[in-house]
Amino acid sequence: MLGTNFRLYNKRLFIPFLLVIGLLVAACGGGASQERPPEPNEEIPAESAETEASAPEEEAEMESDSSASATLRVAMQPIVNSDPIAISSDSEVLVANHVYDYLIDIDAQSNIIPRLATEWKASDGGLTYTFQLAEGVTWHDGSEFSADDVAWTFERLRSTEGTPTADLYANIESVEATGDLEVTFKLSEPNSFFLYDLSDNHALVLKAGTEDADSNFNGTGPFKVDRYSPEDRIELVANEEYFLEGQPKLDRVEIIFFNDDAASIDALLGGQIDLAMRMPTALFVSLQDQPGLNTVSIPTNGFDLVRLRADREPGSDPRVMQALKMATDREAIFNVVQQSFGAIGNDTPIGPLYESYFDPVLMPPTRDIDGAIALLAEAGYDASNPLQMTLHTPDTGGRPDLAAVLKEQWSEAGVEIEISVEPESVYYGEDGWLEVDLGITGWGSRPYPQFYLDTMLVSGAKWNESHFADEEFDQLANTAGTTVDDSARVGAYRGIQQLLIERGPILVPYFFAQLGAISDQFENFEMKAFAGRTDFRDIQYIGS
Amino acid sequence: MPVAPISAIFSISDRNKPMAASEANATIENAAPNRVRRFFSAFRHLFDRPVTAFGTTVFLLFVLLALVGPSIAPYGANEQVYADARQAPSVEHWFGTDNLGRDVFSRVLYGARVVLTQAGLGTILAVICGTFLGLVTGYRSGWLDEITMRLFDSLLALPALLLALLLLGTVGQSQNAVLIVIVVVYTPIVARVARSVVLSVRTKGFVEAAQLQGESQRWILFREILPSVMPALTVEGALRFSYAIFLVASLGFLGVGVQPPSPNWGLMVSEARVYASQLPWALFFPAAAIALLVIGVNLMADGVKNTLQSSD
Repeated sequence: MLGTNFRLYNKRLFIPFLLVIGLLVAACGGGASQERPPEPNEEIPAESAETEASAPEEEAEMESDSSASATLRVAMQPIVNSDPIAISSDSEVLVANHVYDYLIDIDAQSNIIPRLATEWKASDGGLTYTFQLAEGVTWHDGSEFSADDVAWTFERLRSTEGTPTADLYANIESVEATGDLEVTFKLSEPNSFFLYDLSDNHALVLKAGTEDADSNFNGTGPFKVDRYSPEDRIELVANEEYFLEGQPKLDRVEIIFFNDDAASIDALLGGQIDLAMRMPTALFVSLQDQPGLNTVSIPTNGFDLVRLRADREPGSDPRVMQALKMATDREAIFNVVQQSFGAIGNDTPIGPLYESYFDPVLMPPTRDIDGAIALLAEAGYDASNPLQMTLHTPDTGGRPDLAAVLKEQWSEAGVEIEISVEPESVYYGEDGWLEVDLGITGWGSRPYPQFYLDTMLVSGAKWNESHFADEEFDQLANTAGTTVDDSARVGAYRGIQQLLIERGPILVPYFFAQLGAISDQFENFEMKAFAGRTDFRDIQYIGS
Repeated sequence: MPVAPISAIFSISDRNKPMAASEANATIENAAPNRVRRFFSAFRHLFDRPVTAFGTTVFLLFVLLALVGPSIAPYGANEQVYADARQAPSVEHWFGTDNLGRDVFSRVLYGARVVLTQAGLGTILAVICGTFLGLVTGYRSGWLDEITMRLFDSLLALPALLLALLLLGTVGQSQNAVLIVIVVVYTPIVARVARSVVLSVRTKGFVEAAQLQGESQRWILFREILPSVMPALTVEGALRFSYAIFLVASLGFLGVGVQPPSPNWGLMVSEARVYASQLPWALFFPAAAIALLVIGVNLMADGVKNTLQSSD
């Protein structure tokens, strides 16, 4: 009976050995399956992004010949939704942004710029907005573009229930074509950020009456869809009839789907793609000295936050959150978790890029372990009765690292943390993230700060994950969101920063940087904080 | 009679009951000291061949590390020295430091305890459960045997890792869940091995003698049959142990059943893989530890087989 087992010896020894080698190889080559494709909900938390390998290499090789022409090959995660009303991930927005046009757009510095609308004016105390539209715009199917299309699009965006835009545009009383190329919006109350709202990711103009928006790709945009192979790639060809003279400068754009960051970086190094946006800091650092590549890092308004539920023990005592903030060494976190890309956080969603709203003097107190211990003691926690909590975090980006560092830093103040790393789909699934006491959530970059306040911190807000309810805060947020007086708005935002630093339920350790790398055969690449909004119209092929 | 001498090595001697069937049948009726000597001589065989000696040494070394590692580790498993983050191996940090400034050498030492405890305990439990089920189903046969074996067949049809992931998805993720997973994944395999030996032994004369003598079923199972199953079980247990190490590391790599900042080697590899080009040492050393331990245990398991065969 033993003899039979015995003959298997070599095989048995060999298989584990092979597996170990396989693990090593997988680890080296397959790195960084950091982030998951589209999120459950568009605006929710941050960095969606890249995941596991999909574009096989032989396909990528097939592509390498076409780099002789002005074709830009971009690595992106696969797209799931293509109807602009439902898009959310970078890749979905990137495709839509080049097939369709926004009414108004945002530049890399978060300024409002014209696109289909050439000029506009507000009247009636900020309740009426009138837009003049560009001339000579045609749809990809050859038909004429008109103001009716814009009115129809926004009517659809605000009246389709269950979409993020239904909430966003609830304030629009009416939208009408008041001329062939003139659209008028009427609001029920003033909104200081209405123009930013109009440039929302979903607000791409469709042809009036479009019913199959998820498949027909009939836009006015700079590129037309030439071929779409789900799970593989989408190929775009320049729109010869584009209404802006001299754009686009590329002949073709191929968006090749990758699920894995490391695989897309390998493809970039191997010359099978030309551009990769969004990647873990570690991979970005490894690209910095590579010949033939230009690396780009830009600061953004996106951030990770740690929040404590404020409506029940232990967070209902504000001293607890204050103690956790005091026990945190933000600079160390910024250096080790973000490798110093981005900016140090200030415990508010209003970061340094919101120049006029951001007050650099208002910063959280520096690390003070004794102070934290004293505050916790006041709140009833000491060595005999330590504060014990579970810190929930999605498994993407630097968040597990952030959790590991916080656990260690807070332990010096006697706080005992268990970490629970969860797949992003589990963390955000069934709104579990809104229920847990202590969690880390990533929030993507937005061009204006009001979004964060209205969805995350105002009493009863949809994604008020900390269950924060503070009358003074609500008033300030309301003022900031509705006043047409710039200085009053700046004042309100500074008040909000002060308030959040003093008693807010959130700890913002850093603001992310957006990282990208492009082949040096292209120029005029200007990445945006939300990578999917990056504009390829000006990118030019210059050859090697 | 090849079975009895081997069983003599492993059977727990119980000399209070005179005229036990096994003893009556056993070709060797030696005194207890002889058995003890045989046991140790079997143990000595683990160092006979260089390859086996290597495997055994590696295994014992890791066991030693698991026992004393934490007290000899220069840093804490989760101690973060930010100023030293991302350092290559040096005199201060033998295996370098990871992205958070943790000493990789210390973490590998701490990890030995994590991995060996989980894999070892899980294997022992699986061997106990599997042996019991194998003995009972093999001896009793009938519908109990049929049902149990078909159930095990269906469990064996699933790849171990897939089954583990399924289970962790259902019972939730914790250290104990990993133990349960190891038990559930390996019990059927051990039970099959035990059962096959039982089937071949159950018709042997000494078992029939015991039956005729009116011994209780428990006595027959654990005193007559179990000793014959022990050699196969020992080999199987050693092999399962090496696979369990790998399973624990794999689950850690996949990030299930273990939470950071645990120094589980698999989790360390997983955390370090994104830094593969920046910090290769943070990836290499925990992976090498897994490889070395798995290979060591396999070589040792092979030695156990050799020993048992040479005793035949």
